[in-house]
Amino acid sequence: MRLRALAMAALTAGALTACGSGSGSGHTENVTMWTYPVIPDQAKHQAFWNEQVAAFEKANPTIHVKVEIYPWVKRDEALSTAIAGNKAPDVVYLIPDQIPKYARLIQPVDKYLSAPAKADYRDNARRAVTVDGAMMGAPILMSSNPLMCDKKAFDKAGVTTYPKTWDELMKLAPAFKAKGIDVTNYWADPSATLNQSFYPLLWQAGGDVFAPDGKSVAFAGPAGVKALTFLKQLVDGGYMEKDLLTGLPKFEQTHVAQNKVACTWQHVPADVESFWGKDNIKVFPPLNDAKQVAYGTVGALSMLKTSSKKAAAGKWIAFATRAEATKAYDVASSNFSPQKSTGSLYPNDPVQAAMEQTVGYTTAGPLNDKARDVMGVLAPEIQAALIGKKQPQQALADAAKAADALLKG
Amino acid sequence: MATTAGTPRRRALSRWETRTGLLFVLPCFLLFLAFRFGPSIAGVLLGFFDYTIGDSPTFSGVDNYRRLLADPTFWSALKVTLFYTVLYVPASIGLSLGMALLVRRAFRGARFFRSVFFLPVVTSLVLAGTIFTWLFSSEGPWTKLTGSSWLASTTLVVPALVLVSVWSRFGYGMLIILARLQDVPRELEEAALTDGAGPWQRFRHIVAPQLRPALFFLAIIETTNSFQVFDLVYVMTGGGPAHSSYTLVMHLYDQGFKYFDFGYASAIGVSLFVMTLVVALIQRLILGRNR
Amino acid sequence: MSLTATRPAPSAPAARPVTRSYRALEPSRTGKVVRVVLLAIATPVTLFPFYAMVVLSLKPATAVRFPASLLPWPLHTGAYAQVLGGRDMLRWTLNTLVYSVVSVVAVLLLASLAGYAFAKKRFPGRETMFWSFLSMVMVPYHVTLIPTFVLISKLGGVDTYWGLILPTLANAQAVFLMRQFIGGLPDELFEAARLDGCSEWRVFTRIVLPLCKPILATLGVFVFLWHWNDFLWPLIVGQDTHMRTLTVGIAALQQENVPLNVVLAGATVAFVPIFAAYLVGQRYFTEGVTMSGIKG
Repeated sequence: MRLRALAMAALTAGALTACGSGSGSGHTENVTMWTYPVIPDQAKHQAFWNEQVAAFEKANPTIHVKVEIYPWVKRDEALSTAIAGNKAPDVVYLIPDQIPKYARLIQPVDKYLSAPAKADYRDNARRAVTVDGAMMGAPILMSSNPLMCDKKAFDKAGVTTYPKTWDELMKLAPAFKAKGIDVTNYWADPSATLNQSFYPLLWQAGGDVFAPDGKSVAFAGPAGVKALTFLKQLVDGGYMEKDLLTGLPKFEQTHVAQNKVACTWQHVPADVESFWGKDNIKVFPPLNDAKQVAYGTVGALSMLKTSSKKAAAGKWIAFATRAEATKAYDVASSNFSPQKSTGSLYPNDPVQAAMEQTVGYTTAGPLNDKARDVMGVLAPEIQAALIGKKQPQQALADAAKAADALLKG
Repeated sequence: MATTAGTPRRRALSRWETRTGLLFVLPCFLLFLAFRFGPSIAGVLLGFFDYTIGDSPTFSGVDNYRRLLADPTFWSALKVTLFYTVLYVPASIGLSLGMALLVRRAFRGARFFRSVFFLPVVTSLVLAGTIFTWLFSSEGPWTKLTGSSWLASTTLVVPALVLVSVWSRFGYGMLIILARLQDVPRELEEAALTDGAGPWQRFRHIVAPQLRPALFFLAIIETTNSFQVFDLVYVMTGGGPAHSSYTLVMHLYDQGFKYFDFGYASAIGVSLFVMTLVVALIQRLILGRNR
Repeated sequence: MSLTATRPAPSAPAARPVTRSYRALEPSRTGKVVRVVLLAIATPVTLFPFYAMVVLSLKPATAVRFPASLLPWPLHTGAYAQVLGGRDMLRWTLNTLVYSVVSVVAVLLLASLAGYAFAKKRFPGRETMFWSFLSMVMVPYHVTLIPTFVLISKLGGVDTYWGLILPTLANAQAVFLMRQFIGGLPDELFEAARLDGCSEWRVFTRIVLPLCKPILATLGVFVFLWHWNDFLWPLIVGQDTHMRTLTVGIAALQQENVPLNVVLAGATVAFVPIFAAYLVGQRYFTEGVTMSGIKG
C-alpha cells in the first residue's frame, strides 16, 4: 500500500520537476536563497539583500532572486525537511560544521568563482569550506569568539590584570567571587553548541574532537579530561553561574547581562553591548593553555545539487560574495571579512578592530558529517560531569563510547 | 428511476444501499488507508531499513534493533519514561479521585469549582510548560518555596514535570470519576448509613466498587499517555539536565527530525508500540478475570 | 428561589424519613469546614499559573523577580506591543484557526458520513472495516509519525495547510462515536424519508445531520481543542516561521532569546480565545473531552 503511494508520490514529484525546468528555460529563472538572521534586525537585513538583489537583477535581467530569512533555531531541521520535500532552496547559507552533513547534496562552487576571487580568500576561511579539495561554499563572513572581559566587573573587584592563560583565570577567580562576580560562565544546556563552549577549551588543551581519520573520537583523551576538569574546578569553586549549567535562562536574567561575569569566550561584543556599554568591553586573544586558539565560524553561500538553475545560482553566489558585498554585509552584521582585499573593516571602532585581530586564531570546528550527532551525545555527559553526577573522566569515556558507535553506524 | 415494483425494486434498493454505504465510507477509508493503516505498517517496516533524507531506504535487517539494545540513551530514556509513569499515574488518579469526592455533592458554587479545576485541561501543555518553567526557575516561587531548583536537579526534574502534568490533567480524571459517582445508588449509601457505617466504610464498600471501572479506564489512558510524554519535556527541559528527563518520544523526535535517521527512529516507535500493547494485554487479562 | 414541586417540602410528613437520611448523607459540619478549607487551597493553586502568566506578561523585560513581580502594578504593555507588532503572532493565530476550524468541519462531515453508513447501511465488509478503523486507536501516534511525515514531504506537503491538516482527519474515535449515536436513532425516520423520494444525500443532510446536532457539538469542541493545542505534528510540518501554529510559535519564542514577558504575552494571547470559548461553551468542553478520552 505504502510503497505504491510512495511510488506515486515520486512519480508526481518527478513529473512536476520536469515541467518546472522545461517551462523555466527561455523565460526568467527564479533563484531562491535561504539565509538566517546574520544581521539581527530583520528589516535591515531584508533591506541589505533587497539592495543586492536589485543590483544583480539589473545586470542579469533574466534572473530573479528571492532571499528568505529563516530563524536560527532548528535551521538544520528546516533545511533537511525542505530537501526531503523537494522544496529546497537553490542557495543556502551554511557554516563549516554543517557542510560535511550535506556534502552529498552540495554542488561545489569552484567553477562559479573567478580565480582572483578564490585567491583573495584568507587561508583559514577557504580551508573551512573545503571538502576533498572542492569548495563547498563561497565564504561571506568570518566570526571570532576570543576572550572578552567586562571592565566594570574588573573595576568592582579591583582587579587590574586581565587573564591570558587558564591558570591566570583560575587564580583571579577568588578575588571576583569575593565581590559576587563570576570569573567566567559556561552554558551547559545540550541545546547550546559545543563549538562555542567546550571545544575551544579542548583545543586549547591540545586536544581535538575527532581522530585525524574521522572514524573515531578523540575528546576523551588527556586534553579532554584536563579541559573538563578545569571547568569542574570552576564550578566546584563557585566561580560560575549555576543556572547556566542546567537550563537556558533568558539572557537578560543571566549574570553576564548584569555585569557579574569577568571574562567569557561564549559571547561576542554584539551580545553584551547594550548591557555593558561599549566602553566596558575589552577584547583579548583567546586563552592559552597548550595552544592559543578560538572558535570562529565561516559563513558561506552554498549551492544545492537539487537546484535546476545552477548557472544562475552560481552567478548570484559570485555576485553576493564579491569583496564589496561581503564588506558591507560584515560591517552591518558585526562580522569580519573572509577576504584579504577588504582590509580592516573597523578603523574607527576599537572593540571590533580588536576582534578583527583575533580572526587569525580561529578554527571553525570539526568537519565531520556526524559532528552534530556527536555533540548530541557529548553535551549531556559534560553537563552530567559539571553538575556532579559523574566524574569527568567517566563522563567523557561514556560519551566516547556512544559517539564511536555512531561513527561506525 | 428504474425502481418501480416488486422484487427487482427490493434488489435494486439493496444494491443501491450497498453503493451509497460504500460511497459514504469511502472518503474516510481513503484517509485511513493513507494516514493510519499505511503508516502503521510502514512504521514497522521502516525499522528494518536504513533511511535518511536524500537517500533511498536500504534494507538493513535487525541492525536498528541491535543498535537499540546497545544504545545507553535508549535505556536511560526508557527508565525516565517508566519513572515518570510510575509517579504520574497514581498521583493524577489520586488527586482526581480526591477532588471528585470533594465536589461530589451539590453545594453552592460546586459548578464553579468544577469548571475551575477543568480549566487546565483545556490549556495546551506548551502554555503550561512556558508558565511553569518560570515558576520552577531559580527566580521562581517554587524554587524560593522549596529552596532548590527542581528543573536543575537530575533527581527532581521528573517529579517537577509530573507536578505540571498532574496540574494540567487532574480535572479530566475528576470529571470521569464524577460521572461515575452519579451512578452510585443513593439507597445503598443511605442503607449503609442507617446500619451505622462511617464515611470510610461507605466509601470502601459502596462507592469504591462502583468506581473501579472508571479508575481502571483512567489508569490505562494515563499510562499510555505517560509513555508518550513529549510536549512538556520539549518546552520545559529539552530532556535535561544531563538527559535526566529525556524520554522515549524525545529520543524518537531527535533521531527522526534532528538527525533524520528515519529507520532508527521507527525502531524506537515500534518499542513504544510494544509497550502500549503490553499495557493493553494486561488490561485484557484483568478485565477478563473480573468479569 | 421558590420551592418547586420536584422536591418534597420538609413539612410533608411522608417525606420526612427520606429527607433526614438525604441530609445525613451531606457532610457533617466538620466535613463542610474541611471541604471549604481544601477548596480554598486548591482553587488558588490551580489558578495561580494563569495569574502569573498574565501578570508577568505585563512587566517590563528586566524586572522579573519573585515575589515583587507578582503584584499587578505597575502595568506595562510593552510586551504586547512587541508580540503583536514585530512577531508573527497574528499569522500564527490565523494558522491555528485554519488548522482547527477546517479540521473540525472536515472531521465532523467525514465521521458522520462514515458513522451513518456503518450504523444504517448494509454493505459487504462493513464490520471488518469498522473494527479495523477502531483498532487504529491502539497504534500510538508516534509509530505512524515518521512514515506520515515521509509521505507528506514526498507529496510536497511540508509548510502547507493541506499537509498539516490532511493526516489528522483520519479520526477513529470520531467515527466510532458517530456510529454509536446514529445507531441509536430509529430506522423509521430514514425509511420514511427515503420512501418520500429523498435522495441519500438529502436524507443525510436533512435528517441525519440535524438529529446529530448534540453529538456534533460535543465532538466538534473536542476536535477543535485537540487541534488548537496540538504540538508535535505542526512542529514537524511547519518549518517556515509563517507556517507555525500558536503552540509551535510560543515554544519557539521560549527557546529563542526572547524576554520572558514577551513569551508570556504571546502565551496569554494564545490562551484568550480558548478561554473565551470555554466560558461560553463549558458544557460542550467537559462533555467532549470526557467522552472522547484524549487530551489535545
